Amino acid sequence: MDLGVSLWAAFELSTLPQQVVNGLLLGAIYALIALGYTMVYGVLRLINFAHGEVFMLGAYTALFASWFLGYGKGSSLETSGPLNLMILLIASMCVCGIVGVAIERFAYRPMRSQPRIAALITAIGVSLLIQYGGALVLPIAPPPSINEKVNPYRGVVTMNLVGGDPQLLEGYEKAKIEFETTEKAWTEARASKQPDDVVRALRDKKNDADRTMGDLQRRMDNSGVKIRIPQGQLIMFGTTIVLMIMLTYLVMFTAVGRAMRAVSHDFDSASLMGINVGKIVTITFLIGSMLAGAGAMMNATFLGTPLTTFFGVMPGVKAFVAAVLGGIGNIPGAVLGGFLMGIAETAVIWAGYGQYKDAIAFIVLIVVLLFRPGGLLGSAKVEKV
Amino acid sequence: MSLLHLDKATIKFGGLIAVNEVSFEIKPGQLFGLIGPNGAGKTTCFNLITGVYKPTSGSIKFEGREISGTPSNKIAHLGIARTFQNIRLFGALSVLENVVVGGFLRHHTGLGSAIAYLPPAIKETDELKQEAMRLLEVVDLAHVANVRSRDLSYGMQRRLEIARAMATQPKLLLLDEPAAGMNPQEKMDLTGTVRRIRDEHDKTVLLIEHDMRFVMELCENIVVLDHGEEIAQGPPSEIRNDPKVIEAYLGEAV
Amino acid sequence: MKFFAVRAGSIALAVAACFALQSFAIGKGDLVFRLVFLAGLYVTLAVSLNLINGITGQFSIGHAAFYMVGAYGAGYTANNYAGSWGLKGPLLMLVLLLIGAVVAAVAGLVVGLPSLRLRGDYLAVVTLGFGEIIRIFVQNSPPLGGAYGLTVDAQFKFKYVWMVWLLAILCIAVCRNLLKTAHGLPFLAVREDEIASSAMGVNVTRVKVTAFVIGSAFAGAAGAMLANFDGFISPTSFPMELSFTILTMVVLGGTGSITGSALAGGVLFYIPEYLRDLKPVSGSSLVAAVIAVIAAVYVVKRIADHYHGDKGKRAALYLGTIIAGVVLQIILAAVFKNVPSLANANFEASKLRMVIFSSTLIILMLLRPQGVFAHHEFSWSWIQRLLGKKVPTTAVSV
Repeated sequence: MDLGVSLWAAFELSTLPQQVVNGLLLGAIYALIALGYTMVYGVLRLINFAHGEVFMLGAYTALFASWFLGYGKGSSLETSGPLNLMILLIASMCVCGIVGVAIERFAYRPMRSQPRIAALITAIGVSLLIQYGGALVLPIAPPPSINEKVNPYRGVVTMNLVGGDPQLLEGYEKAKIEFETTEKAWTEARASKQPDDVVRALRDKKNDADRTMGDLQRRMDNSGVKIRIPQGQLIMFGTTIVLMIMLTYLVMFTAVGRAMRAVSHDFDSASLMGINVGKIVTITFLIGSMLAGAGAMMNATFLGTPLTTFFGVMPGVKAFVAAVLGGIGNIPGAVLGGFLMGIAETAVIWAGYGQYKDAIAFIVLIVVLLFRPGGLLGSAKVEKV
Repeated sequence: MSLLHLDKATIKFGGLIAVNEVSFEIKPGQLFGLIGPNGAGKTTCFNLITGVYKPTSGSIKFEGREISGTPSNKIAHLGIARTFQNIRLFGALSVLENVVVGGFLRHHTGLGSAIAYLPPAIKETDELKQEAMRLLEVVDLAHVANVRSRDLSYGMQRRLEIARAMATQPKLLLLDEPAAGMNPQEKMDLTGTVRRIRDEHDKTVLLIEHDMRFVMELCENIVVLDHGEEIAQGPPSEIRNDPKVIEAYLGEAV
Repeated sequence: MKFFAVRAGSIALAVAACFALQSFAIGKGDLVFRLVFLAGLYVTLAVSLNLINGITGQFSIGHAAFYMVGAYGAGYTANNYAGSWGLKGPLLMLVLLLIGAVVAAVAGLVVGLPSLRLRGDYLAVVTLGFGEIIRIFVQNSPPLGGAYGLTVDAQFKFKYVWMVWLLAILCIAVCRNLLKTAHGLPFLAVREDEIASSAMGVNVTRVKVTAFVIGSAFAGAAGAMLANFDGFISPTSFPMELSFTILTMVVLGGTGSITGSALAGGVLFYIPEYLRDLKPVSGSSLVAAVIAVIAAVYVVKRIADHYHGDKGKRAALYLGTIIAGVVLQIILAAVFKNVPSLANANFEASKLRMVIFSSTLIILMLLRPQGVFAHHEFSWSWIQRLLGKKVPTTAVSV
């Protein structure tokens, strides 16, 4: 039975570096969201299904903040500056932090002494409630997106890894000079009011030169290996890395982080040792949700994705898979899993199976779990007998 | 012929040698004790015998047949049953049901017969229940047969573990600290129960215990482990006076 | 002899009841007819997932995948092969149903195998992932209709409400019989403690795979019924949320309780359908309702946690709280009528239904996390115990 799965793939080796970079950029966002899942799982052993919805609310917060700053539809304002971006980021992180803590306090805390599956159903309920309840009050049709003027960094950074063919380059340089001279001649002829047919002839000449130059430029571009990154995504990546470093510092070198690790290691013993477990859980939700908020704001602003209340579902699921892939409860694991997931997804698109990009996450996961049942960095706990 | 024969059984976890070349033989009908200080590798020995772990090297023979590396459930079918140090009952099931699970390995009706609720499966279920009730009487739990096992007291749970293991009709019964957490009276009763199991039900018993008096009184042969090594072996009278054992249990009246 | 007479009698009774239901439903119009049909499917789905999740304790959150596999298996076979079989009517449907079941059982086997090594949440993610993979592959498979869906040939459309309900009854009977005999105990034992089960000679692997295979076969059979009832299936008919809904039915009914799953399957399926037909709700009464519900839930939760008086008084307190909640809603709604921005906003009931569904879920979990039926089964002894008599508490009792 032919299920219509084509086995032909279109690999273009010269685009490999670009794809790797794309994968890393995508993976950084997954990693950022995955951290929220993994931290909550670490302390509570709960899959926080509502985390994707926190992410969605973060994106909406950024949208509202941008409206508040005057970047609504058909805004006549000039392109904004970095200050506005900071305002959006902080607004998103704060709102997400508050929402995350509220969800924990009112939905998960009462369930703490109950079987885990009951807490999980509550999490699913909260997730559905935010999706559908949000649809009642948030703008969804047509899906709004953040005005692109909010983002002042719309340029593209190009990095040449391997230069183009030197012959092409030489030809291009020549064609460029040719174009410049013909253009100059045409402009002068026009300015000095020469007869129409002369101007027209010069213009045709200039257009020919332009075409040749453009053609050569294209060929030259294709002959080299280069990476193009939109500035916005570069900022996104940088911010993500900075946030991860801050998180690592917090978890590894502060008293709160030590308490967090203790709670994650053994919930009951930690509370017996005088750690205020409730406070640590709150802080965990706060930090995890704030990270999601940062991811959401950057996603909505720099990628300009149209928002609906289901905006968080797919990133949420994939980030969750990333967390499990790395070993859920393990913070470096979530980062590793996120990057792997991003690279796997880009690789699939690159190989020409774009329609399977949502499936690859799970295929990778299943394959990894078959060999390492505890995820990549997690240890499958051997039960003491 | 020996019933169980460990020959230089060894297991390593990473760099740690938990059990190092332990050898002993148990003859049918013996009451055999396995003692040693905390962390000596006693429970690990049990786990090796029951197939929870596979030995790194060495052999374990049951009735002359190599069983190292055989899965736990197959070992249970061969005739070795155990109790657990940290009680592992099926908490949500009733006391009776726990014991029926133990007896179930001798079932002969198919799943189809059960799903269709046909007379053979019903009859078999009744038989297993009756048999389980008899075992509950042996350990004096018949009066709580329908109570959920997690609601039992600690001592009762330990006895239920024994009954559940007995239900598999093992040739060799492994008891992992059966007297832990019991008061002197309960321990006395337990001594009687274990003896009865051996004498009346014709079982061989290997038990781990911390309480020296309990072991010395009950067992006919004892192996002493310390830091994974076997340091002594023999009848209680010899063990009691062995200098190595006294050293291992420094300060403890043996 | 008496045994078989009783058995034959009860089977005949079940069949008769199913046909009676069919003739009742036909008279009520197409919509009700379909609802009765779907209710049967959901009961089957919930009870079959309960076998995997509640009884065997294998945390599967991808049950819709087996449903989907069964539906596509039956639909594809009907379109491409069934024409030449020369079968008609119920017999043909029965064969297609078996095909759906077998295809899904194979899928269950495939998913059950990795479950040998995986536990808890890891297994959950794999089952979820399996569902997504299947859905995406179907979406990209032209022979299966891709994203546009698969239209089942009109000659294979069977509106057999009776058969769905027989399937549901069969599913319930299989699970109940299993638990009534000693054969069910290994399943429960695996849920309770795998290591101890193994030490008692239970083949844990086999038990888990059996549960997956039986559970997914029933889901597949349900899928086959759906494909041939509607005559059209598409990947969007089997979203991830469907798996969550089925899981919710199992947990809300009381994990492990067949009675609970069956009832929750019917009721939870019906709530959103019922809410579809409501009139639009004004903003003022909606806000009032939200406040009243939160207040009532808070009070009920306080009572449940802190009041340990006798049952009758407690029930009275609950009742009082609920009445107070309703009164509060009415008063607040009247007050909010004066706020123009609220009174003029209208919310369509169709948009509210999922909100109400999810709120119900959260509230029920907060107030009764063990599920409505907890681990109880409907039986005479349970009713007697509710009425205060002392009778044995477990299924396999003396």
